[in-house]
Amino acid sequence: MQKYSIFNLVKNAFSNHQNWDLAWKDPEPKEEYDVVIIGGGGHGLATAYYLAKEHNITKVAIIEKGWIGGGNVGRNTTIIRSNYMHDENGLFSEFGMDLWRKMSQDLNYNVMFSPRGIINLAHSDAQMNVYARRGNSMRLNGIDAVLLNREQVKEIIPMADFSENVRFPIFGGLMQPSAGTARHDAVAWGYARQADDMGVDIIQNCEVIGFDVSAGKINGIRTSRGNIKAKKVGLCVAGSTNILAEKLNMTLPIETHLLQACVSEPVKPVLDSVVTFGAGHFYISQSDKGEMVMGGDLDGYNSYAQRGNLPTLQHVLTEGIAMMPFLSKLKMLRTWGGIMDMSMDGSPIIDKTHIDGLYLNCGWCYGGFKATPASGWTFAHTIAQDRVHELNAGYSLNRFNTGHLIDEKGLGTKTWIS
Amino acid sequence: MSQDFRLESVGLVNRDKKLSFKFNGKKYFGYEGDTLASALLANGVHLVGRSFKYHRPRGFFGAGVDEPYAIVQLYRNNETEPNIKATEQELFEGLEAKSVNCWPSVNFDIGAINNFLKIFLPAGFYYKTFMWPKSFWYRIYEPFIRKAAGLGVASTKHDKERYEHKYEYCDLLIAGSGPSGLSSAYAAAKNGAKVILAEDKPRFGGSLLTDDVNIGNQSGKDWAEGIVAELKTMPNVVVKNRSQIFGYYDHNMLVMSEKVSDHLPKTKKYHPNKRLWYIRAKEVLISSGSIERPIVFGNNDTPGVMLSSAAKEYLKVYGVLVGKNPLIFTNNDSGYETAIEFQKHGVQPTVLDSRKNPESEIIDEAKSLGINIKNSYVVVAAQGYKKVKSADVASISDDKKQLGKIENIKCDCICVSGFWTPSIHLASQSGNKTKFKEEIDAFVPGISKQQETTLGAANGVFSLEETLQTSFAKGGELSKKITDNDNKVSIPNVVEKKSSKHDKFWCVPLPAGKNYKRFLDFQNDVAVSDIEIALREGYRSIEHVKRYTTLGMATDQGKTSNLNGLQLVSEIENKVVPAVGHTTFRPPYTPISIGAIVGREVGKHSKPTRKSPMHAWHEKNNAVFVDAGVWLRPRYYKRGNENLFEGSKREAKNVRTNVGVCDVTTLGKIDIKGPDAAELLNRVYTNAWLKLPVGKARYGVMLREDGIVMDDGTTTRISENHYHMTTTTAQAANVLSHLEYYLQLVWPELNVNVVSATEQWAGAAIAGPKSRVVLQKLFPNLDVSNEGLPFMGYMEGDLFGVKARIFRISFSGELAYEVNVESDYGNFMWEKIMEVGEEYEIQPYGTEALSTLRIEMGHVAGSELDGRTIPYDNSLEGLVSKKKDFIGKRSLQRSAFTAKDRQKIVGVVPLDKKTSIPEGSHLVKDDKAPLPNPKLGHISASCWSVEYDNPFSLAILKDGKNMIGEKLFAMSPLKNKVIPVEIVSSHYVDPKGERVRS
Amino acid sequence: MLYIKCPHCGMRPQIEFSYGGDASVKRPELNKEISDKEWDDFVYNRKSLRGKHLELWQHISGCRQWIKVERDTATHEIFKTFKADEEVV
Repeated sequence: MQKYSIFNLVKNAFSNHQNWDLAWKDPEPKEEYDVVIIGGGGHGLATAYYLAKEHNITKVAIIEKGWIGGGNVGRNTTIIRSNYMHDENGLFSEFGMDLWRKMSQDLNYNVMFSPRGIINLAHSDAQMNVYARRGNSMRLNGIDAVLLNREQVKEIIPMADFSENVRFPIFGGLMQPSAGTARHDAVAWGYARQADDMGVDIIQNCEVIGFDVSAGKINGIRTSRGNIKAKKVGLCVAGSTNILAEKLNMTLPIETHLLQACVSEPVKPVLDSVVTFGAGHFYISQSDKGEMVMGGDLDGYNSYAQRGNLPTLQHVLTEGIAMMPFLSKLKMLRTWGGIMDMSMDGSPIIDKTHIDGLYLNCGWCYGGFKATPASGWTFAHTIAQDRVHELNAGYSLNRFNTGHLIDEKGLGTKTWIS
Repeated sequence: MSQDFRLESVGLVNRDKKLSFKFNGKKYFGYEGDTLASALLANGVHLVGRSFKYHRPRGFFGAGVDEPYAIVQLYRNNETEPNIKATEQELFEGLEAKSVNCWPSVNFDIGAINNFLKIFLPAGFYYKTFMWPKSFWYRIYEPFIRKAAGLGVASTKHDKERYEHKYEYCDLLIAGSGPSGLSSAYAAAKNGAKVILAEDKPRFGGSLLTDDVNIGNQSGKDWAEGIVAELKTMPNVVVKNRSQIFGYYDHNMLVMSEKVSDHLPKTKKYHPNKRLWYIRAKEVLISSGSIERPIVFGNNDTPGVMLSSAAKEYLKVYGVLVGKNPLIFTNNDSGYETAIEFQKHGVQPTVLDSRKNPESEIIDEAKSLGINIKNSYVVVAAQGYKKVKSADVASISDDKKQLGKIENIKCDCICVSGFWTPSIHLASQSGNKTKFKEEIDAFVPGISKQQETTLGAANGVFSLEETLQTSFAKGGELSKKITDNDNKVSIPNVVEKKSSKHDKFWCVPLPAGKNYKRFLDFQNDVAVSDIEIALREGYRSIEHVKRYTTLGMATDQGKTSNLNGLQLVSEIENKVVPAVGHTTFRPPYTPISIGAIVGREVGKHSKPTRKSPMHAWHEKNNAVFVDAGVWLRPRYYKRGNENLFEGSKREAKNVRTNVGVCDVTTLGKIDIKGPDAAELLNRVYTNAWLKLPVGKARYGVMLREDGIVMDDGTTTRISENHYHMTTTTAQAANVLSHLEYYLQLVWPELNVNVVSATEQWAGAAIAGPKSRVVLQKLFPNLDVSNEGLPFMGYMEGDLFGVKARIFRISFSGELAYEVNVESDYGNFMWEKIMEVGEEYEIQPYGTEALSTLRIEMGHVAGSELDGRTIPYDNSLEGLVSKKKDFIGKRSLQRSAFTAKDRQKIVGVVPLDKKTSIPEGSHLVKDDKAPLPNPKLGHISASCWSVEYDNPFSLAILKDGKNMIGEKLFAMSPLKNKVIPVEIVSSHYVDPKGERVRS
Repeated sequence: MLYIKCPHCGMRPQIEFSYGGDASVKRPELNKEISDKEWDDFVYNRKSLRGKHLELWQHISGCRQWIKVERDTATHEIFKTFKADEEVV
């Protein structure tokens, strides 16, 4: 495989960049695979990569309805963090942080992981205590966390509202300094390129229309490009989970909702950290291009439309200005929506199913992007070994039956309230 | 200073009003009615900024919203705003603007070194490098890249401007005031329909302002003025200029941003800067026109290269020549129209037409005027760095693959026309699946998804006559459906010149041995070679191409680049355009002020503030307030130099020893009436309610269906079929909806009504051993003895003439009462309580003391009922009925909920009896264990016990009850604290509950 | 912003309503013995499909009535709305 490096970049410049290899091929589906991963998003691509890399399973196909990286991996706000209170989430995400830190080198693709830190603002002592509970839990799990007072926050983000004319004054915040952002598309493309190199077939424009299940065992899938036999099938389709579950006669503790995000026009660097508002639901960071990347609440009703409505964005931006009044003078450039697989306790599911050889990876809510490497790694393990890894043991499907819920927000089953 | 490029008495600017302005520190003059762009061009200024990536010099390309690179930093009224399009910004007296993305100046920009490195910086180069050494990305490379990117500078000052919102309903909303917009608006208005006509530019008329046409025996411009004038007199019509409809949302909701003050030096008093209109329209007519397409050639980003329609607009609207030696490069007749205008105004252009033998009325006219025309000729490359000085031109073969001999001709601007792209953005936003129209090589709207119709050039119709006919007809037809009027208006006759077919040609091949950059996306510096690389590397989906190269992702959102990009991909991939990509647009059409989107809900008003009727009293008495949701509650009443700890301790102590009074108005209150009220409560709460007598209160806990505690509170039976429920402050609205849900949907057979009474009642809790005497003083005629009003009893009374409800309930664990009066009398009640309580040393207490009192009593509150706990966790099992069913009961059977070592609430005391345990600490067995250190539980609430004068905390602890007596560590690594603690009962004070019953 | 016909009040903008989720989920009767599966299907499991979706909304800033809305989750088109006790046809 052609190595990406400054040396090769210069070399290719002199041949007018005519000699770059394909990042990934575009093969016809084969008749049979050891593992078929449905969904060419970040998690699916990562799963295929780790199946090949960690488990030496390379007779693998990724089946993608559209184009790879076109789902939530390409439609998020690029935040990477492990600032969770519950052990299951914290340990899983921190494992992922390690993978993030070396991802550019592992994939030989610059995913621009940038540990610029995330600050969750608090606007009351009560909220400081809630964050303390979370931050202490993080620290006891070996995750970095710092509790900032008002002055410390002001030093990092002086442009936030520290004036008298503020509805919810900033008391302080919880910071995870090692959290940050990465270039979302690069993650998908980087995994795809390496997976392809190790023999994984990336099959785009191929829609799954059914499953071949007999005697409680999966035998293959039916697609718009013909039937494909498979010993094992992994579902990695985020917002389309409910649709495929129906084809399997399963109902899952998942609802499909729309989350919008938007960016401002690009401006010169003004905000270094990722910041979340504590008196509402709003988060912001500034991209390398200079755009302020902003997001917040769900649109609030089940939706498969990758288009949202303005009141939600108005609400989100209202909180944005409440937190950082200077945003008022910027302009909203682009908005988009992502289809979220909202689970009933806000945490994901990576598990086997009642069908032999069928594996489930879903329920990421709006936290899927940061989980990409850990999700791929553990899902690959679960598929390869036919048993869950201790990192994803808590993400079982039957926790809803047993009551071992992992509810970071304590909001329960009203998935549309965020 | 004379304006070298301004024609005398041509155009629509107001020559009587001269305006001075500054650009990059230099003073210039323009006229009222100019844009910053036209005023700069009038002064011969073409260099405006530097491009995003290569920092190449950039000038003006368009004359409006499609402008890709004339972007400036604006200074107005001591404020600054980044990324203003000079082509949209109207000139005002004293305007100041500066170039962006260049340092130290636009003339000499260090970043332009990138232009020499450009062969090393192809699309996606950053994905291939900057990876070594590992730590360098964040520390070295990224900061450098970030600094280089980003266009203008955001001011971090608070925005002083005001933005308003307006909600409107109308029959027809018409986007765009060109020929189709005006005709359809006129026809609809004549039928009495409520019409809103929106134009994003300051002037109405669209293409009629610049096109040489004749309607109803007057010039197009005069006809437009007449129509607009008449529309403005009609009461059923709203005509708005400077108003951009930028979003087409669900159910025919459109949003429009009106620039009210941007064209003024300063916003007028009581005026908004912008006004955002939410418009719900029965029918939407999209007459947003079309945008000229560029033709791609070498160095086509050099200042002086611009759209031919823009050159015409600068001439006809502003009286400005964009050059005195223009070269027109066209693949259709539009270029000739521009050439004719130049010629008419004494400037001799040269026309290069890629077509071999085009024939039409327009071309005939050009020929008859003696314009120099070269057929089968193209511009190969512009020459000149900061301004076009000449052009390399050549003949081109019929198959457009072979260039003839390169010649260089002198020129000072190159006006390009690559035919027209309909503005289908709004139609696409509405859900319309657009289709590709071969004849015009562009997408047009397909089948309507909502009530929308696209007319005129936006629909790919470029004949004025046809546009007027269909637009008058459509406006009439749609309005007739709504108003039932059928007032026919006669369609005026039209004189326009017929044009010939355009050439399917948008990209000039590179001459042998040359490696000119041929730009598609000017702002993001995406060139033909970038698209080629993306495709070569397998980024073949158009979405991959866009993301890999950033084509169309700049602030102009690809208005002049998207289609050329698609065309190029289709040629390289040998596919037809619609097979390459289907264009779907999302709002906003053009970048929209965030301030305008947010409106008035800023600063203190970003969320409502709720205050109790006693708020003024609290303020007067030095209350320090705390936010409780949107409520403001006194946290403590500061005396002298007291801090929170000292003040709240004093208040809590006073409750334990004397008597205190606390404002509990914020608690949710729900009035429940009906014969089945008891049955409802019995199903909602976990405990039994059927036998509660009249005049008695009971504490209850309600669950969500998943078994998690939703809320707690007391409910009192006021009379036979009338109950008064209290909820926590935070859950008040949710609980009401919850009850309504079950009553309306699940158990409609229950005859019960519920209504919120939170605002109707003001509440005061009087607590402490002396509370009974205070109550007696308030109600001298009532028997409030322990027998007359026992614990959990209720009675009504007369508080100095005011009807009051008296509940003997206690959150503090002391003998306590809660008095409610109608809100209007809240302050009266409060003052009376303070007055009669004075001799018993009554003190008001705030939420902090309230918290202390409940914690040492082991009463649970929000920090324990955190959406994750079940009744057992909170030692509330006594309240969970085994006999009856209730909401959420079935969930309590889950194995994790019934586990033997399930978490439970306990008390925690530091071994040294001195060190307060920070809330949010975790309990561990071994403070030195390696990480991750297993956590057994967490500290949910902490206080300084006023009873025992030492710290006390509540914790939710695994295997809680069995842990009493154990020694653990409370750890708060965030605060660097490790505190050895002992686990005790959560009922730290008065465990038998004798005080409340005393 | 959706435009929802409240069967009691008429056409009203979405901001007057709050969402209540899948209306096809039926709460099991009180005191009835049911399996874990039935209970979990009620509490947690949802079809949430693309296309026609019967859902609950409450006209919270209006008449406070819970209503049923038949809406397309892909296009947001609203086909019909029903009162709480109305038969869905």
